[in-house]
Amino acid sequence: MYKFTLSIRYLIRRPISYFAVAAMALCVFVVFVVITVLTGLSRDFKQKVYLSVGDCVVYTKSLVGFGYYDEFMDILRREPYIEAATPVIKNYGLASVSETGGLDAYGQSVREIAGIEPVSLSRVTGFCQWIEYHKNDVADVFRPAYDVNLPGCVPGIDIIFQKDTQGDYHTTDRPVRAAFEISCVPLTAKGALARAGAGELNSKTFYYSDHFEAGYSLDRRLIFLPINDVQLLCGMATGHKRITHIHIRFKSSVPLSRGTEQVKKLWQDFVATKAGAPYENLLGEVQVQSWKDFSKVIVALVETQQTMMIVCFALIGMITVFIVLVVFYMIVSHKSKDIGILKSVGASGFNILSVFLNFAFLIGLAGSVIGALAGWPFLVYINQIFRFFNFQLWDPQISSIGNIPNTIDLTVLGIIILCAIGASLLGAILPSLRASRINCIETLQVSQL
Amino acid sequence: MKNDCLLEAQDIHKSYRMGQTQVRVLKGVNLKITGGEFTAIVGASGSGKSTLLHILGVLDRPDKGRVCFRGNDLAKQSGWRLNRFRNRTVGFVFQFYHLLDELNVLENVLLPKMAGKSLAGWLVCRRAAKNRAKELLEQFGLSQRVRHKPYQLSGGERQRVAIARALMNEPEILLADEPTGNLDSKTGNGILEVLEHLNRAGQTIVIVTHDERIAAKAGRIIRLADGVIRQEK
Repeated sequence: MYKFTLSIRYLIRRPISYFAVAAMALCVFVVFVVITVLTGLSRDFKQKVYLSVGDCVVYTKSLVGFGYYDEFMDILRREPYIEAATPVIKNYGLASVSETGGLDAYGQSVREIAGIEPVSLSRVTGFCQWIEYHKNDVADVFRPAYDVNLPGCVPGIDIIFQKDTQGDYHTTDRPVRAAFEISCVPLTAKGALARAGAGELNSKTFYYSDHFEAGYSLDRRLIFLPINDVQLLCGMATGHKRITHIHIRFKSSVPLSRGTEQVKKLWQDFVATKAGAPYENLLGEVQVQSWKDFSKVIVALVETQQTMMIVCFALIGMITVFIVLVVFYMIVSHKSKDIGILKSVGASGFNILSVFLNFAFLIGLAGSVIGALAGWPFLVYINQIFRFFNFQLWDPQISSIGNIPNTIDLTVLGIIILCAIGASLLGAILPSLRASRINCIETLQVSQL
Repeated sequence: MKNDCLLEAQDIHKSYRMGQTQVRVLKGVNLKITGGEFTAIVGASGSGKSTLLHILGVLDRPDKGRVCFRGNDLAKQSGWRLNRFRNRTVGFVFQFYHLLDELNVLENVLLPKMAGKSLAGWLVCRRAAKNRAKELLEQFGLSQRVRHKPYQLSGGERQRVAIARALMNEPEILLADEPTGNLDSKTGNGILEVLEHLNRAGQTIVIVTHDERIAAKAGRIIRLADGVIRQEK
């Protein structure tokens, strides 16, 4: 019992222990805030990527694409674990703004283009959440409101609007008339130029019918177009129809890895049935990947940044361990008489060790609680605080990140508190061992007082 | 318990290193403490009397020789048993009181009881222990000082608290190292009266002092010089 009583009294009555508590609280506060924000950024980014991909992708990196996709999609649609599947053509095109309509878009630039079926894409990805004017009638997303007979296009929001200094877009209530001429290099199924010697490019003008905001770099590089038009532009519609991607969504009860494995098996079986068929070589270049593997490169970048930041702050945490160690050395030196007294009344070395480790536990706990209690409201109001002081972590004109993510994860907080207590115990272990080995005769001698 | 040999020191040798020199403090001390005795160990400063007291109370180990309690060689006991011996069988009183500043008077007196119990054991005996501590404090005229901190007490009061602490577990032997050495003569006399009173009630006491006047109050005087017992009355 005296171990708890003494630990608490040492904590309350030794002002030097306040420094250890303050250091621990500061460390917990910083780590709590940084990890919450970084984890939030990483989680939000992964969610955005997931919404743009779906659960699984059957794709080829070749711009030539692959055929027989209708047959394979029929097979997919019959599978009970598949919720939806959609064909997509991804390619590159030269986008020339032929009518600006007062928008910020101008000039010529190479863009990624994606030929899609908007209804089925909405069932697989977050497409219908991203668009502005056709959320409730996604089938008409390529029909400009000002003239439904014109071919529509859906560019990323950053292609047609510029952010102001606060990071806001000034969109219009309805799409204004603007036009992009899209030019592509059509390729044959053998990979040759389809229009060699005849101008080489296929071009078509599309009219701004809607825009999308995915919340990351897609917004400034991608234009959605009707799949049939892209097939024509890229030379994939003639004879042997081709696409480059099939995006798939599994039923919610299906684990990602199991669903992906099943699709891989289906694809292998399908390819086997096409042995000897025309252009069957294009099927050999097709890969089947889960959204995580498909997006590994960009997600890994964010995760690496997150890990590096956490490692940096863990190193800062080591300073706290050192502060606890110094404080404990001072306290043990100052309390050597107490140690002698305790041993004279029968306390063992282990009991002395327990007194100081209890003390370290209390410092860790008190520091963690204070740090967490300070960090919690700071995180809740972090966006308001930053706005109040007009401080911006990211340039809103460049970054797609709006608010700083501040969703508090109690598991993360629990782990931080446990680590803080562990760090406090780690810092205290050497001084506490020294205390437990102190010779009580030396400390109780008159000459030592 | 009276007239039984409680504690026996046989051929105790002890030396310390001071810089490059090995100082032989005890050079073969033989001593028997009988139940109910009030024994004073006297000697000049540096004669080894405090060292002998520490060895008798197993706070220190002899280089050679042995200490037996009721015939059992304490050197052969485990660390756990020696801690238990210090907790229950002997009670120490030091010249500088050695109270814990963080604890109040009552908690200081309760310290040996708390040290000898687990948390569960303490919860079971807590009420009885507090009553015992309050009785001791009342016996020593400190019932109004129960919640005071050591720094709020006079020297005499602190030493009485230290004696109450030493008696908390009803030890068979009370070992006192210059208990009046830091007190004025009037207060010191008061402490001596307390010790005499305890001895009359059957408490075995071994006191170390360099003051002949204090030693005269003891029933038995052992004179230590040059590391050996020179005279015994």
